[in-house]
Amino acid sequence: MSLVLHDYELDADCYTVRLFLSILGIPAEMIAVDVYPGHEQRSPAYLALNPRGSLPILVAGNLVLTEAEAILCYLARSEAAGAAFLPDEAAAFGAVMSWLFFARGPLGAATAARLTAMLEAPGDADMLERQARAAFRVMEDHMTARHLSGASWFVGDGPTLADIALFPPIVLSRDFGIDHDEYPALRRWMRRMRTIPGFITMPGIPDYH
Amino acid sequence: MNLVEGWYAVAIADDIEPGTSAGTRLFDRELVVWRDLAGVSHVWEDRCPHRGMRLSFGFVRGNHIACLYHGWAYDTAGQCRAIPAHPDLAVPETIKVATYHSVEAGGLILVHSSLGAEALPPPAPAPTGHALRSLYVDLAPDVVAERLLQDFTARDDGSYAGTLAGAPVLVFLQPFTATRTGLHLVLAGPGDAVAVSAASEALRNAFEASPTALEAAE
Repeated sequence: MSLVLHDYELDADCYTVRLFLSILGIPAEMIAVDVYPGHEQRSPAYLALNPRGSLPILVAGNLVLTEAEAILCYLARSEAAGAAFLPDEAAAFGAVMSWLFFARGPLGAATAARLTAMLEAPGDADMLERQARAAFRVMEDHMTARHLSGASWFVGDGPTLADIALFPPIVLSRDFGIDHDEYPALRRWMRRMRTIPGFITMPGIPDYH
Repeated sequence: MNLVEGWYAVAIADDIEPGTSAGTRLFDRELVVWRDLAGVSHVWEDRCPHRGMRLSFGFVRGNHIACLYHGWAYDTAGQCRAIPAHPDLAVPETIKVATYHSVEAGGLILVHSSLGAEALPPPAPAPTGHALRSLYVDLAPDVVAERLLQDFTARDDGSYAGTLAGAPVLVFLQPFTATRTGLHLVLAGPGDAVAVSAASEALRNAFEASPTALEAAE
């Protein structure tokens, strides 16, 4: 089935989907949406496609999917190469889903902080930064324990949707003024993310490292 | 509390892998900690002399670190050796990054906080143990030191000795900024690394929940 991704290059959630598509080696037609300054995602035509007025939007035949984490889950089930990224086994499945909800919940402050800093989205920058740091600390403590246990990824023995969904907000955190100085375990993990075959960057993520 | 210029741990040595760099702060000054591909670590002022970009954002190639902005590359002495925009230029000796004195000991990277100072006293003998992790507390360094002294004992090497999860530990304090403090945790005897690490998080959280000894006593 041919895939169409309605995409904005500077959007972290769109990057999440582009990253997973690239890792899966799945081609998709990319349609660039003028989010800034045009707010095209809230135009009548786009609201007809996605009443939430958000990106990314994945169109697969008659199926229209929104929310990056839901699109990740769909691709993990619809594409054979995606199966390992969303394990069937109950405990691992639950752990991955827990991190996906974390990405959309507490870690959403980081995405919002970035949009406030870069694209003039409304928001309380100080509060969002505090919330983002609190979420990053949860991730840092988790990956510290994982490292001390000899593990390399958020869940299980290989990369999962948890890693894909959690990566963009922290790797892009310098866009809103949070350095990686306090996150040695996340620095190690972010370098490891770059070793996944098919890994791609976006503006704000150096190709060099 | 006696947080003066001197030797401080700024990173767990294993957390700075060969060919990588990281930023940190000491008394609010920005430092870059990086390790060349030969395995030697370096601690410098985190500032490219060209445009002031943090070198910790840059990348390590061989035994040089290069700035992310324009690729100016510095050798292990901090001397600029290459400017990509002027490939034929003999780079002047004056283009040099300010460097700190640093040593690796006991699984830690220790740096003397006096930039470029000469005739420094050597650091105290390094502890033996397993350097576990770094963690950062959203409190002033002197407040964290005061809290540590409630349950830990100050040692000559600047660390604090105590017990976490039933295991002997040493905590090295890093005055990060006026409002943040780094802690570098060394397991000094037998113990469960994961449990000790979790106990250090609980300690951090308790400090932040009750920042002063006075409040804790109430």
